[in-house]
Amino acid sequence: MSRRVLTLAERSESGVTDASYELIEAASRLAGGPDRVSAVLPVGDASEAEGLREVLPAGELLLVEGPAHASPTADGTAAAVLHAREASGAECVLLPHDPVGWDVAPLVAARLGTAAATAVSALSWRGDGLVARRSAFLGKFVQEVEAPGLPAVATVERGAFPAREPGPALSVRILPSPVGPGDLRSRLVEVRDAGAGGVDLTAADVVVAAGRGLGGPENLDIVHELAAALGGVVGASRAVTDAGWLPHELQIGSSGATVSPKLYVACAISGAIQHLVGMRGSRFVVAINKDPDAPIFGAADVGIVGDALEVIPLVTEAVRDSG
Amino acid sequence: MNAVALVKQVPDRNSAFRPAGDWIDESSLGYGINDYDRYAVEAALALKEAGHAAETVAVTAGPADAGQVLRSCLAMGVDRGVHLVTDRAHLADPFFVARALAGAVSGLDAGVVFAGLLAEDSGHGQVGGLVAGLLGFSFASAATGLQFRDGRLEAHRELEGGRIAVVELRLPAVVAVQTGINTPRYASLRGIMASRRKPVERVELAAPADGGGLRRLTLGRPERGASAEILPGSPQEAAAALVPRMRAGAGVSFPGDTA
Ligand SMILES: Cc1cc2nc3c(=O)[nH]c(=O)nc-3n(C[C@H](O)[C@H](O)[C@H](O)COP(=O)(O)OP(=O)(O)OC[C@H]3O[C@@H](n4cnc5c(N)ncnc54)[C@H](O)[C@@H]3O)c2cc1C
Repeated sequence: MSRRVLTLAERSESGVTDASYELIEAASRLAGGPDRVSAVLPVGDASEAEGLREVLPAGELLLVEGPAHASPTADGTAAAVLHAREASGAECVLLPHDPVGWDVAPLVAARLGTAAATAVSALSWRGDGLVARRSAFLGKFVQEVEAPGLPAVATVERGAFPAREPGPALSVRILPSPVGPGDLRSRLVEVRDAGAGGVDLTAADVVVAAGRGLGGPENLDIVHELAAALGGVVGASRAVTDAGWLPHELQIGSSGATVSPKLYVACAISGAIQHLVGMRGSRFVVAINKDPDAPIFGAADVGIVGDALEVIPLVTEAVRDSG
Repeated sequence: MNAVALVKQVPDRNSAFRPAGDWIDESSLGYGINDYDRYAVEAALALKEAGHAAETVAVTAGPADAGQVLRSCLAMGVDRGVHLVTDRAHLADPFFVARALAGAVSGLDAGVVFAGLLAEDSGHGQVGGLVAGLLGFSFASAATGLQFRDGRLEAHRELEGGRIAVVELRLPAVVAVQTGINTPRYASLRGIMASRRKPVERVELAAPADGGGLRRLTLGRPERGASAEILPGSPQEAAAALVPRMRAGAGVSFPGDTA
Protein backbone atom coordinates (compact mmCIF):
# COMPACT_ATOMS: atom_id res chain seq x y z
CA MET A 1 0.00 0.00 0.00
CA SER A 2 1.59 3.22 -0.99
CA ARG A 3 -0.74 5.95 0.02
CA ARG A 4 0.46 9.50 0.17
CA VAL A 5 -0.07 11.73 3.17
CA LEU A 6 -0.20 15.52 3.04
CA THR A 7 0.92 17.76 5.90
CA LEU A 8 0.69 21.49 6.42
CA ALA A 9 3.99 23.28 6.91
CA GLU A 10 3.76 26.52 8.83
CA ARG A 11 6.32 29.25 8.74
CA SER A 12 7.84 30.63 11.91
CA GLU A 13 10.28 33.48 12.40
CA SER A 14 13.21 31.11 12.11
CA GLY A 15 11.92 28.79 9.38
CA VAL A 16 9.09 26.36 9.97
CA THR A 17 7.38 25.51 13.25
CA ASP A 18 8.30 22.49 15.39
CA ALA A 19 4.75 21.26 14.84
CA SER A 20 5.49 21.04 11.10
CA TYR A 21 8.33 18.59 11.79
CA GLU A 22 6.13 16.52 14.09
CA LEU A 23 3.48 16.33 11.37
CA ILE A 24 6.04 15.17 8.82
CA GLU A 25 7.15 12.44 11.24
CA ALA A 26 3.52 11.37 11.82
CA ALA A 27 2.87 11.37 8.08
CA SER A 28 6.05 9.48 7.33
CA ARG A 29 5.08 6.69 9.76
CA LEU A 30 1.56 6.50 8.35
CA ALA A 31 2.67 6.59 4.72
CA GLY A 32 5.54 4.16 5.27
CA GLY A 33 8.37 6.53 4.44
CA PRO A 34 9.14 10.23 4.04
CA ASP A 35 9.20 9.92 0.25
CA ARG A 36 5.43 9.44 0.29
CA VAL A 37 4.89 12.58 2.33
CA SER A 38 3.86 15.81 0.67
CA ALA A 39 4.10 19.06 2.60
CA VAL A 40 2.09 22.09 1.53
CA LEU A 41 3.29 25.60 2.24
CA PRO A 42 0.98 28.42 1.15
CA VAL A 43 3.07 31.43 0.08
CA GLY A 44 2.39 34.88 -1.29
CA ASP A 45 5.45 34.48 -3.50
CA ALA A 46 7.63 31.40 -3.98
CA SER A 47 10.72 33.42 -3.08
CA GLU A 48 9.45 33.46 0.52
CA ALA A 49 10.22 29.75 0.66
CA GLU A 50 13.87 30.36 -0.20
CA GLY A 51 15.91 28.12 2.07
CA LEU A 52 12.89 26.24 3.39
CA ARG A 53 13.20 23.54 0.73
CA GLU A 54 16.53 22.65 2.33
CA VAL A 55 14.99 21.99 5.74
CA LEU A 56 11.60 20.37 5.00
CA PRO A 57 12.31 16.62 4.91
CA ALA A 58 9.28 15.60 2.83
CA GLY A 59 9.09 13.66 -0.42
CA GLU A 60 7.71 16.72 -2.10
CA LEU A 61 7.21 20.29 -1.07
CA LEU A 62 4.18 21.91 -2.65
CA LEU A 63 4.29 25.70 -2.69
CA VAL A 64 0.80 27.00 -3.31
CA GLU A 65 1.58 30.47 -4.53
CA GLY A 66 -0.56 33.55 -4.83
CA PRO A 67 -1.30 36.91 -3.22
CA ALA A 68 -4.19 35.34 -1.31
CA HIS A 69 -1.57 33.62 0.86
CA ALA A 70 0.55 36.65 1.67
CA SER A 71 -0.90 36.37 5.16
CA PRO A 72 -2.64 33.27 6.50
CA THR A 73 -6.44 32.99 6.77
CA ALA A 74 -8.73 30.08 7.54
CA ASP A 75 -10.31 29.89 4.11
CA GLY A 76 -7.11 30.75 2.23
CA THR A 77 -5.12 28.03 3.94
CA ALA A 78 -7.99 25.55 3.51
CA ALA A 79 -8.08 26.28 -0.23
CA ALA A 80 -4.31 25.76 -0.48
CA VAL A 81 -4.50 22.47 1.42
CA LEU A 82 -7.35 21.19 -0.77
CA HIS A 83 -5.48 22.18 -3.92
CA ALA A 84 -2.30 20.44 -2.76
CA ARG A 85 -4.27 17.38 -1.76
CA GLU A 86 -5.64 17.05 -5.22
CA ALA A 87 -2.27 17.69 -6.84
CA SER A 88 -0.52 15.13 -4.64
CA GLY A 89 -3.31 12.56 -4.58
CA ALA A 90 -2.83 12.25 -0.81
CA GLU A 91 -5.32 9.99 0.98
CA CYS A 92 -4.89 11.68 4.31
CA VAL A 93 -4.37 15.29 5.37
CA LEU A 94 -2.58 15.97 8.67
CA LEU A 95 -2.94 19.35 10.34
CA PRO A 96 -1.71 20.58 13.72
CA HIS A 97 -4.13 20.38 16.66
CA ASP A 98 -3.74 24.06 17.43
CA PRO A 99 -5.53 27.29 16.52
CA VAL A 100 -4.43 26.90 12.89
CA GLY A 101 -5.76 23.35 12.65
CA TRP A 102 -9.02 24.25 14.42
CA ASP A 103 -9.64 26.88 11.75
CA VAL A 104 -8.53 24.90 8.73
CA ALA A 105 -9.36 21.23 9.43
CA PRO A 106 -13.16 21.54 9.48
CA LEU A 107 -13.19 23.64 6.30
CA VAL A 108 -11.03 21.05 4.53
CA ALA A 109 -13.04 18.13 5.92
CA ALA A 110 -16.39 19.67 4.94
CA ARG A 111 -15.18 20.06 1.37
CA LEU A 112 -14.07 16.42 1.34
CA GLY A 113 -17.46 15.34 2.70
CA THR A 114 -16.15 14.08 6.01
CA ALA A 115 -15.24 15.07 9.55
CA ALA A 116 -11.72 15.38 10.92
CA ALA A 117 -10.34 13.11 13.62
CA THR A 118 -9.07 15.71 16.09
CA ALA A 119 -6.67 15.71 19.06
CA VAL A 120 -5.01 12.63 17.59
CA SER A 121 -1.99 10.82 19.06
CA ALA A 122 -1.76 7.71 16.83
CA LEU A 123 -2.83 6.83 13.30
CA SER A 124 -3.14 3.74 11.14
CA TRP A 125 -4.89 2.60 7.99
CA ARG A 126 -7.67 0.10 8.19
CA GLY A 127 -8.90 -1.15 4.85
CA ASP A 128 -10.00 1.90 2.92
CA GLY A 129 -10.22 4.03 6.02
CA LEU A 130 -8.20 5.60 8.78
CA VAL A 131 -8.16 4.70 12.47
CA ALA A 132 -7.14 7.42 14.91
CA ARG A 133 -6.47 7.40 18.62
CA ARG A 134 -7.64 10.65 20.20
CA SER A 135 -8.45 12.19 23.50
CA ALA A 136 -12.06 12.67 24.63
CA PHE A 137 -13.79 14.02 27.73
CA LEU A 138 -11.10 16.70 28.13
CA GLY A 139 -8.35 14.12 28.40
CA LYS A 140 -10.08 11.77 30.80
CA PHE A 141 -10.46 9.03 28.20
CA VAL A 142 -8.76 7.91 25.01
CA GLN A 143 -10.96 7.04 22.11
CA GLU A 144 -10.40 5.21 18.86
CA VAL A 145 -12.39 6.48 15.92
CA GLU A 146 -12.55 5.33 12.35
CA ALA A 147 -12.96 7.49 9.30
CA PRO A 148 -14.47 4.83 7.05
CA GLY A 149 -13.59 6.51 3.77
CA LEU A 150 -10.58 8.20 2.22
CA PRO A 151 -9.37 10.90 1.93
CA ALA A 152 -9.35 11.44 5.67
CA VAL A 153 -8.39 14.48 7.74
CA ALA A 154 -6.78 14.54 11.19
CA THR A 155 -5.38 17.11 13.59
CA VAL A 156 -2.37 15.82 15.48
CA GLU A 157 -1.70 16.69 19.12
CA ARG A 158 1.56 18.51 19.83
CA GLY A 159 4.24 16.19 21.18
CA ALA A 160 2.45 12.99 20.12
CA PHE A 161 5.20 12.36 17.56
CA PRO A 162 8.86 13.38 17.75
CA ALA A 163 9.93 16.18 15.44
CA ARG A 164 11.64 14.85 12.32
CA GLU A 165 15.17 16.10 11.76
CA PRO A 166 15.34 18.93 9.24
CA GLY A 167 16.55 17.88 5.79
CA PRO A 168 15.95 18.74 2.17
CA ALA A 169 12.70 18.07 0.34
CA LEU A 170 13.23 15.50 -2.44
CA SER A 171 11.34 17.66 -4.92
CA VAL A 172 9.60 21.00 -5.06
CA ARG A 173 6.55 21.98 -7.06
CA ILE A 174 5.05 25.41 -7.35
CA LEU A 175 1.28 25.40 -7.78
CA PRO A 176 -0.53 28.62 -8.67
CA SER A 177 -3.18 29.20 -6.02
CA PRO A 178 -6.76 28.48 -7.02
CA VAL A 179 -7.95 31.51 -5.03
CA GLY A 180 -7.28 35.22 -5.30
CA PRO A 181 -7.48 37.71 -2.44
CA GLY A 182 -10.99 38.72 -3.56
CA ASP A 183 -12.23 35.16 -3.13
CA LEU A 184 -11.41 35.09 0.55
CA ARG A 185 -14.08 35.70 3.14
CA SER A 186 -11.63 36.42 5.93
CA ARG A 187 -8.68 38.75 6.30
CA LEU A 188 -5.93 38.82 8.88
CA VAL A 189 -5.84 42.32 10.34
CA GLU A 190 -2.99 41.85 12.80
CA VAL A 191 -1.33 39.54 15.29
CA ARG A 192 -0.45 41.05 18.63
CA ASP A 193 0.44 40.18 22.19
CA ALA A 194 -2.53 39.68 24.44
CA GLY A 195 -0.68 41.64 27.13
CA ALA A 196 0.90 40.01 30.14
CA GLY A 197 -0.54 40.11 33.62
CA GLY A 198 0.86 41.84 36.68
CA VAL A 199 1.32 38.90 39.06
CA ASP A 200 4.46 36.88 38.57
CA LEU A 201 3.45 33.33 39.19
CA THR A 202 6.56 32.12 37.45
CA ALA A 203 8.91 33.24 40.23
CA ALA A 204 7.12 31.39 43.05
CA ASP A 205 8.61 28.28 44.65
CA VAL A 206 5.19 27.02 45.68
CA VAL A 207 1.96 27.35 43.69
CA VAL A 208 -1.40 26.23 45.05
CA ALA A 209 -3.81 26.10 42.14
CA ALA A 210 -7.58 26.32 42.48
CA GLY A 211 -9.94 24.40 40.20
CA ARG A 212 -13.62 24.51 39.37
CA GLY A 213 -14.32 21.57 41.67
CA LEU A 214 -14.00 23.93 44.63
CA GLY A 215 -17.53 24.94 43.77
CA GLY A 216 -17.41 28.72 43.99
CA PRO A 217 -15.43 31.80 44.99
CA GLU A 218 -16.79 31.51 48.53
CA ASN A 219 -14.66 28.37 48.98
CA LEU A 220 -11.33 29.87 47.95
CA ASP A 221 -10.30 30.99 51.45
CA ILE A 222 -9.02 27.51 52.22
CA VAL A 223 -6.78 27.66 49.13
CA HIS A 224 -5.34 31.03 50.18
CA GLU A 225 -4.73 29.63 53.66
CA LEU A 226 -2.92 26.58 52.34
CA ALA A 227 -0.80 28.80 50.07
CA ALA A 228 0.09 30.98 53.07
CA ALA A 229 1.03 27.97 55.18
CA LEU A 230 3.27 26.70 52.38
CA GLY A 231 4.76 30.12 51.68
CA GLY A 232 3.38 30.06 48.17
CA VAL A 233 1.06 31.89 45.81
CA VAL A 234 -2.38 31.02 44.48
CA GLY A 235 -2.89 30.12 40.84
CA ALA A 236 -5.94 28.81 39.00
CA SER A 237 -7.32 26.79 36.14
CA ARG A 238 -8.99 28.55 33.28
CA ALA A 239 -12.42 27.42 34.43
CA VAL A 240 -11.84 29.38 37.62
CA THR A 241 -10.59 32.58 35.99
CA ASP A 242 -13.22 32.51 33.22
CA ALA A 243 -15.87 32.24 35.91
CA GLY A 244 -14.40 35.32 37.54
CA TRP A 245 -13.54 33.61 40.83
CA LEU A 246 -9.93 34.75 40.47
CA PRO A 247 -8.26 37.27 38.12
CA HIS A 248 -7.08 36.15 34.68
CA GLU A 249 -3.44 36.82 35.53
CA LEU A 250 -3.54 33.81 37.82
CA GLN A 251 -4.47 31.37 35.06
CA ILE A 252 -1.99 28.57 34.49
CA GLY A 253 -1.83 26.65 31.24
CA SER A 254 -1.46 26.85 27.49
CA SER A 255 -3.36 30.14 27.33
CA GLY A 256 -2.05 31.43 30.64
CA ALA A 257 1.17 31.34 32.60
CA THR A 258 3.71 28.53 32.44
CA VAL A 259 5.07 27.76 35.88
CA SER A 260 7.75 25.43 37.13
CA PRO A 261 7.75 25.75 40.92
CA LYS A 262 9.33 23.32 43.32
CA LEU A 263 5.89 22.42 44.64
CA TYR A 264 2.58 22.52 42.77
CA VAL A 265 -0.64 21.65 44.59
CA ALA A 266 -3.62 21.15 42.25
CA CYS A 267 -6.88 21.51 44.18
CA ALA A 268 -10.00 20.15 42.45
CA ILE A 269 -8.43 20.53 39.01
CA SER A 270 -9.23 17.81 36.47
CA GLY A 271 -5.92 18.06 34.60
CA ALA A 272 -6.96 18.89 31.03
CA ILE A 273 -4.00 18.89 28.64
CA GLN A 274 -4.16 22.69 28.32
CA HIS A 275 -3.68 22.96 32.06
CA LEU A 276 -0.96 20.34 32.26
CA VAL A 277 1.29 22.03 29.72
CA GLY A 278 1.43 25.04 32.02
CA MET A 279 2.65 23.16 35.11
CA ARG A 280 4.49 20.12 33.79
CA GLY A 281 7.86 21.57 34.68
CA SER A 282 7.04 21.56 38.40
CA ARG A 283 9.45 19.55 40.55
CA PHE A 284 6.86 17.96 42.83
CA VAL A 285 3.14 17.82 42.12
CA VAL A 286 0.35 17.10 44.57
CA ALA A 287 -3.22 16.52 43.37
CA ILE A 288 -6.34 16.64 45.50
CA ASN A 289 -9.42 15.46 43.60
CA LYS A 290 -12.50 13.43 44.42
CA ASP A 291 -12.37 11.55 41.11
CA PRO A 292 -9.72 8.79 41.06
CA ASP A 293 -9.86 8.87 37.23
CA ALA A 294 -9.02 12.57 36.98
CA PRO A 295 -6.11 12.98 34.52
CA ILE A 296 -4.30 15.23 37.02
CA PHE A 297 -3.28 12.08 38.93
CA GLY A 298 -1.31 11.03 35.86
CA ALA A 299 0.74 14.21 36.15
CA ALA A 300 1.15 14.17 39.93
CA ASP A 301 3.70 12.61 42.27
CA VAL A 302 1.34 12.24 45.18
CA GLY A 303 -2.44 12.34 45.28
CA ILE A 304 -5.28 12.39 47.74
CA VAL A 305 -8.61 11.15 46.48
CA GLY A 306 -11.24 13.04 48.43
CA ASP A 307 -13.35 16.13 48.88
CA ALA A 308 -11.03 19.10 48.51
CA LEU A 309 -13.18 21.20 50.84
CA GLU A 310 -12.46 18.70 53.58
CA VAL A 311 -8.90 17.74 52.68
CA ILE A 312 -7.35 21.16 52.06
CA PRO A 313 -7.91 22.52 55.60
CA LEU A 314 -6.51 19.26 56.98
CA VAL A 315 -3.37 19.65 54.88
CA THR A 316 -3.02 23.27 56.02
CA GLU A 317 -3.29 22.15 59.61
CA ALA A 318 -0.80 19.32 59.11
CA VAL A 319 1.70 21.73 57.52
CA ARG A 320 1.36 24.17 60.43
CA ASP A 321 1.71 21.39 62.98
CA SER A 322 4.81 20.01 61.31
CA GLY A 323 6.88 23.19 61.58
CA MET B 1 -30.41 39.07 9.81
CA ASN B 2 -30.45 36.74 12.81
CA ALA B 3 -27.96 35.54 15.39
CA VAL B 4 -27.87 31.76 15.80
CA ALA B 5 -26.30 29.72 18.60
CA LEU B 6 -25.50 26.02 18.11
CA VAL B 7 -25.81 24.18 21.40
CA LYS B 8 -25.24 20.62 22.56
CA GLN B 9 -26.57 18.63 25.46
CA VAL B 10 -23.71 16.89 27.29
CA PRO B 11 -23.47 14.73 30.42
CA ASP B 12 -23.01 16.63 33.67
CA ARG B 13 -19.35 17.32 34.17
CA ASN B 14 -19.38 16.03 37.72
CA SER B 15 -20.88 12.64 36.92
CA ALA B 16 -18.82 9.52 37.46
CA PHE B 17 -18.10 8.45 33.89
CA ARG B 18 -17.44 4.80 33.10
CA PRO B 19 -16.32 3.59 29.69
CA ALA B 20 -18.78 1.04 28.28
CA GLY B 21 -18.43 -0.44 24.80
CA ASP B 22 -17.46 2.28 22.35
CA TRP B 23 -18.64 5.10 24.62
CA ILE B 24 -19.58 5.74 28.25
CA ASP B 25 -22.28 4.11 30.34
CA GLU B 26 -25.14 6.57 29.90
CA SER B 27 -27.69 4.77 32.03
CA SER B 28 -27.59 7.05 35.06
CA LEU B 29 -26.26 10.42 33.95
CA GLY B 30 -27.63 13.91 34.31
CA TYR B 31 -27.38 16.21 31.30
CA GLY B 32 -27.01 19.92 30.73
CA ILE B 33 -25.79 22.47 28.22
CA ASN B 34 -22.16 22.21 27.08
CA ASP B 35 -20.21 24.87 28.98
CA TYR B 36 -18.64 26.40 25.85
CA ASP B 37 -22.10 26.81 24.33
CA ARG B 38 -23.27 29.09 27.13
CA TYR B 39 -20.74 31.58 25.81
CA ALA B 40 -22.10 31.12 22.28
CA VAL B 41 -25.62 31.86 23.51
CA GLU B 42 -24.44 34.96 25.35
CA ALA B 43 -22.63 36.18 22.22
CA ALA B 44 -25.84 35.79 20.18
CA LEU B 45 -27.89 37.66 22.78
CA ALA B 46 -25.31 40.46 22.94
CA LEU B 47 -25.33 40.79 19.15
CA LYS B 48 -29.08 41.33 19.15
CA GLU B 49 -28.91 43.75 22.07
CA ALA B 50 -26.32 45.78 20.18
CA GLY B 51 -28.79 46.10 17.32
CA HIS B 52 -26.96 43.81 14.88
CA ALA B 53 -29.47 40.97 14.81
CA ALA B 54 -33.25 40.91 14.57
CA GLU B 55 -33.79 37.63 16.31
CA THR B 56 -31.82 35.04 18.26
CA VAL B 57 -32.28 31.35 17.54
CA ALA B 58 -30.77 28.36 19.35
CA VAL B 59 -30.36 25.10 17.43
CA THR B 60 -29.53 21.69 18.82
CA ALA B 61 -29.31 18.17 17.43
CA GLY B 62 -30.05 15.52 20.01
CA PRO B 63 -32.53 13.12 21.56
CA ALA B 64 -35.96 14.13 22.82
CA ASP B 65 -34.70 15.20 26.24
CA ALA B 66 -32.16 17.56 24.63
CA GLY B 67 -35.07 19.98 24.35
CA GLN B 68 -34.01 20.80 27.90
CA VAL B 69 -30.96 22.74 26.69
CA LEU B 70 -33.07 24.75 24.26
CA ARG B 71 -35.37 25.65 27.16
CA SER B 72 -32.38 26.91 29.12
CA CYS B 73 -31.34 29.04 26.12
CA LEU B 74 -34.85 30.47 25.85
CA ALA B 75 -34.78 31.23 29.57
CA MET B 76 -31.52 33.15 29.06
CA GLY B 77 -33.36 35.29 26.51
CA VAL B 78 -33.07 33.52 23.16
CA ASP B 79 -36.20 34.10 21.05
CA ARG B 80 -36.81 30.63 19.66
CA GLY B 81 -35.38 27.16 19.31
CA VAL B 82 -34.93 24.51 16.66
CA HIS B 83 -34.60 20.92 17.85
CA LEU B 84 -33.27 18.39 15.36
CA VAL B 85 -34.41 15.18 16.97
CA THR B 86 -32.11 12.20 16.59
CA ASP B 87 -30.79 9.29 18.67
CA ARG B 88 -28.01 10.16 21.06
CA ALA B 89 -25.85 7.53 19.37
CA HIS B 90 -26.06 9.41 16.08
CA LEU B 91 -24.21 12.34 17.67
CA ALA B 92 -21.08 10.18 17.36
CA ASP B 93 -20.39 11.54 13.88
CA PRO B 94 -19.64 15.28 13.77
CA PHE B 95 -20.25 15.27 10.02
CA PHE B 96 -23.79 13.94 10.43
CA VAL B 97 -24.47 16.53 13.14
CA ALA B 98 -22.95 19.39 11.15
CA ARG B 99 -24.90 18.50 8.02
CA ALA B 100 -28.14 18.50 9.97
CA LEU B 101 -27.28 21.80 11.68
CA ALA B 102 -26.23 23.37 8.37
CA GLY B 103 -29.58 22.38 6.88
CA ALA B 104 -31.41 24.10 9.73
CA VAL B 105 -29.16 27.18 9.71
CA SER B 106 -29.64 27.71 5.99
CA GLY B 107 -33.31 28.49 6.63
CA LEU B 108 -32.70 30.95 9.47
CA ASP B 109 -31.39 34.07 7.67
CA ALA B 110 -28.29 33.80 9.83
CA GLY B 111 -25.81 36.67 9.90
CA VAL B 112 -23.60 35.21 12.58
CA VAL B 113 -23.70 31.64 13.87
CA PHE B 114 -22.01 31.07 17.21
CA ALA B 115 -20.80 27.65 18.29
CA GLY B 116 -18.79 26.54 21.30
CA LEU B 117 -15.15 25.77 20.49
CA LEU B 118 -15.68 22.17 21.54
CA ALA B 119 -18.05 19.85 23.35
CA GLU B 120 -16.91 18.66 26.75
CA ASP B 121 -17.82 15.04 26.03
CA SER B 122 -16.63 14.13 22.53
CA GLY B 123 -14.31 17.11 22.16
CA HIS B 124 -14.23 16.98 18.36
CA GLY B 125 -14.04 20.77 18.25
CA GLN B 126 -15.16 21.18 14.67
CA VAL B 127 -18.92 21.24 14.30
CA GLY B 128 -18.99 25.03 13.91
CA GLY B 129 -16.27 24.88 11.27
CA LEU B 130 -17.95 22.05 9.39
CA VAL B 131 -21.18 24.05 9.28
CA ALA B 132 -19.22 27.02 7.90
CA GLY B 133 -17.56 24.78 5.32
CA LEU B 134 -20.83 23.19 4.24
CA LEU B 135 -22.61 26.53 3.90
CA GLY B 136 -19.69 28.52 2.49
CA PHE B 137 -19.75 30.90 5.46
CA SER B 138 -16.67 32.61 6.89
CA PHE B 139 -15.15 30.94 9.91
CA ALA B 140 -13.05 31.78 12.94
CA SER B 141 -12.31 29.41 15.80
CA ALA B 142 -11.12 30.07 19.36
CA ALA B 143 -12.65 33.53 19.50
CA THR B 144 -12.05 35.49 22.71
CA GLY B 145 -13.38 38.82 21.49
CA LEU B 146 -15.81 40.24 18.91
CA GLN B 147 -16.39 43.60 17.36
CA PHE B 148 -18.97 44.59 14.80
CA ARG B 149 -18.39 47.41 12.40
CA ASP B 150 -19.69 48.38 8.94
CA GLY B 151 -21.36 45.05 8.26
CA ARG B 152 -18.13 43.25 9.05
CA LEU B 153 -17.30 41.21 12.03
CA GLU B 154 -13.92 41.40 13.69
CA ALA B 155 -13.00 38.37 15.75
CA HIS B 156 -10.08 38.11 18.15
CA ARG B 157 -8.63 34.62 18.00
CA GLU B 158 -6.59 33.18 20.81
CA LEU B 159 -3.27 31.88 19.50
CA GLU B 160 -0.59 30.10 21.46
CA GLY B 161 2.12 31.94 23.36
CA GLY B 162 -0.17 34.71 24.58
CA ARG B 163 -0.85 36.16 21.16
CA ILE B 164 -4.10 37.29 19.58
CA ALA B 165 -4.96 37.29 15.87
CA VAL B 166 -7.48 39.89 14.77
CA VAL B 167 -9.43 38.66 11.74
CA GLU B 168 -12.10 40.36 9.73
CA LEU B 169 -14.94 38.14 8.53
CA ARG B 170 -17.48 38.73 5.82
CA LEU B 171 -21.02 37.85 6.75
CA PRO B 172 -22.57 35.39 7.08
CA ALA B 173 -19.99 33.88 9.41
CA VAL B 174 -19.60 31.10 11.93
CA VAL B 175 -17.61 31.92 15.07
CA ALA B 176 -16.51 29.15 17.46
CA VAL B 177 -16.13 30.81 20.83
CA GLN B 178 -13.65 30.12 23.59
CA THR B 179 -14.75 30.28 27.23
CA GLY B 180 -14.20 33.69 28.78
CA ILE B 181 -15.20 35.62 25.63
CA ASN B 182 -18.03 37.09 27.69
CA THR B 183 -19.87 36.47 30.93
CA PRO B 184 -22.89 34.29 30.21
CA ARG B 185 -25.99 35.56 31.97
CA TYR B 186 -28.09 33.41 34.22
CA ALA B 187 -31.76 32.92 33.50
CA SER B 188 -33.93 35.25 35.54
CA LEU B 189 -37.22 34.08 36.99
CA ARG B 190 -38.93 36.30 34.44
CA GLY B 191 -36.85 34.74 31.69
CA ILE B 192 -37.87 31.29 32.81
CA MET B 193 -41.55 32.26 32.84
CA ALA B 194 -41.29 33.92 29.43
CA SER B 195 -39.47 30.93 27.94
CA ARG B 196 -42.54 28.75 28.32
CA ARG B 197 -44.32 30.76 25.67
CA LYS B 198 -41.43 30.77 23.21
CA PRO B 199 -41.60 28.48 20.18
CA VAL B 200 -39.44 25.41 19.63
CA GLU B 201 -39.63 23.83 16.22
CA ARG B 202 -39.00 20.09 16.22
CA VAL B 203 -37.63 18.35 13.17
CA GLU B 204 -37.12 14.57 13.08
CA LEU B 205 -33.82 13.69 11.44
CA ALA B 206 -33.47 10.66 9.21
CA ALA B 207 -30.93 8.12 10.46
CA PRO B 208 -27.42 8.67 9.08
CA ALA B 209 -26.58 6.94 5.83
CA ASP B 210 -23.69 4.48 5.71
CA GLY B 211 -20.20 5.88 5.55
CA GLY B 212 -20.33 9.36 7.00
CA GLY B 213 -17.49 11.11 8.73
CA LEU B 214 -16.44 9.29 11.87
CA ARG B 215 -17.35 6.10 13.71
CA ARG B 216 -16.62 5.29 17.33
CA LEU B 217 -14.53 2.17 17.87
CA THR B 218 -13.36 2.14 21.48
CA LEU B 219 -13.20 4.30 24.59
CA GLY B 220 -10.98 3.64 27.55
CA ARG B 221 -8.88 5.06 30.31
CA PRO B 222 -5.51 6.33 29.20
CA GLU B 223 -2.48 4.32 30.20
CA ARG B 224 -0.66 6.43 32.67
CA GLY B 225 3.09 5.99 32.66
CA ALA B 226 4.08 7.01 36.14
CA SER B 227 0.97 7.77 38.08
CA ALA B 228 0.63 9.47 41.45
CA GLU B 229 1.10 7.59 44.69
CA ILE B 230 -2.39 7.75 46.18
CA LEU B 231 -2.19 8.26 49.93
CA PRO B 232 -4.41 5.79 51.75
CA GLY B 233 -6.42 6.14 54.92
CA SER B 234 -8.75 8.75 56.31
CA PRO B 235 -8.49 12.33 55.07
CA GLN B 236 -6.60 13.18 58.29
CA GLU B 237 -4.13 10.33 57.77
CA ALA B 238 -3.63 11.22 54.12
CA ALA B 239 -3.05 14.89 54.97
CA ALA B 240 -0.52 13.95 57.65
CA ALA B 241 1.29 11.58 55.28
CA LEU B 242 1.40 14.24 52.59
CA VAL B 243 3.46 16.81 54.47
CA PRO B 244 6.78 14.93 54.75
CA ARG B 245 6.48 13.82 51.11
CA MET B 246 5.97 17.43 49.97
CA ARG B 247 8.98 18.55 51.98
CA ALA B 248 11.26 15.86 50.65
CA GLY B 249 9.96 15.82 47.08
CA ALA B 250 9.94 19.58 46.58
CA GLY B 251 12.97 20.34 48.73
CA VAL B 252 11.37 23.41 50.23
CA SER B 253 10.87 24.64 53.76
CA PHE B 254 7.64 26.19 54.88
CA PRO B 255 7.09 29.52 56.70
CA GLY B 256 6.16 27.80 59.97
CA ASP B 257 9.33 25.70 60.04
CA THR B 258 11.59 26.40 62.96
CA ALA B 259 14.95 27.43 61.63
C1 LIG C 1 -7.65 26.35 23.47
C2 LIG C 1 -7.84 26.05 24.91
C3 LIG C 1 -6.98 26.65 25.81
C4 LIG C 1 -7.13 26.39 27.16
N1 LIG C 1 -6.25 26.96 28.03
C5 LIG C 1 -6.31 26.61 29.34
C6 LIG C 1 -5.34 27.10 30.27
O1 LIG C 1 -4.43 27.87 29.94
N2 LIG C 1 -5.44 26.70 31.56
C7 LIG C 1 -6.42 25.85 31.99
O2 LIG C 1 -6.45 25.53 33.20
N3 LIG C 1 -7.35 25.39 31.14
C8 LIG C 1 -7.33 25.76 29.83
N4 LIG C 1 -8.29 25.28 28.98
C9 LIG C 1 -9.48 24.62 29.53
C10 LIG C 1 -9.25 23.18 29.89
O3 LIG C 1 -9.52 22.37 28.76
C11 LIG C 1 -10.20 22.75 31.03
O4 LIG C 1 -11.53 23.00 30.66
C12 LIG C 1 -9.92 23.46 32.35
O5 LIG C 1 -8.55 23.36 32.68
C13 LIG C 1 -10.76 22.84 33.44
O6 LIG C 1 -10.54 23.49 34.65
P1 LIG C 1 -10.76 22.68 36.01
O7 LIG C 1 -9.84 21.52 36.05
O8 LIG C 1 -10.66 23.67 37.12
O9 LIG C 1 -12.28 22.25 35.93
P2 LIG C 1 -12.97 20.81 35.62
O10 LIG C 1 -12.40 20.22 34.39
O11 LIG C 1 -14.40 21.08 35.71
O12 LIG C 1 -12.46 19.92 36.82
C14 LIG C 1 -12.92 20.02 38.11
C15 LIG C 1 -12.32 18.87 38.89
O13 LIG C 1 -12.67 19.01 40.24
C16 LIG C 1 -13.01 17.74 40.76
N5 LIG C 1 -13.91 17.99 41.89
C17 LIG C 1 -15.19 18.40 41.86
N6 LIG C 1 -15.63 18.57 43.12
C18 LIG C 1 -14.62 18.27 43.94
C19 LIG C 1 -14.45 18.25 45.35
N7 LIG C 1 -15.43 18.62 46.18
N8 LIG C 1 -13.26 17.87 45.86
C20 LIG C 1 -12.24 17.51 45.03
N9 LIG C 1 -12.34 17.51 43.70
C21 LIG C 1 -13.52 17.89 43.16
C22 LIG C 1 -13.64 16.99 39.63
O14 LIG C 1 -13.47 15.60 39.84
C23 LIG C 1 -12.83 17.49 38.44
O15 LIG C 1 -11.72 16.66 38.19
C24 LIG C 1 -8.16 25.53 27.62
C25 LIG C 1 -9.02 24.93 26.71
C26 LIG C 1 -8.86 25.17 25.36
C27 LIG C 1 -9.75 24.49 24.39
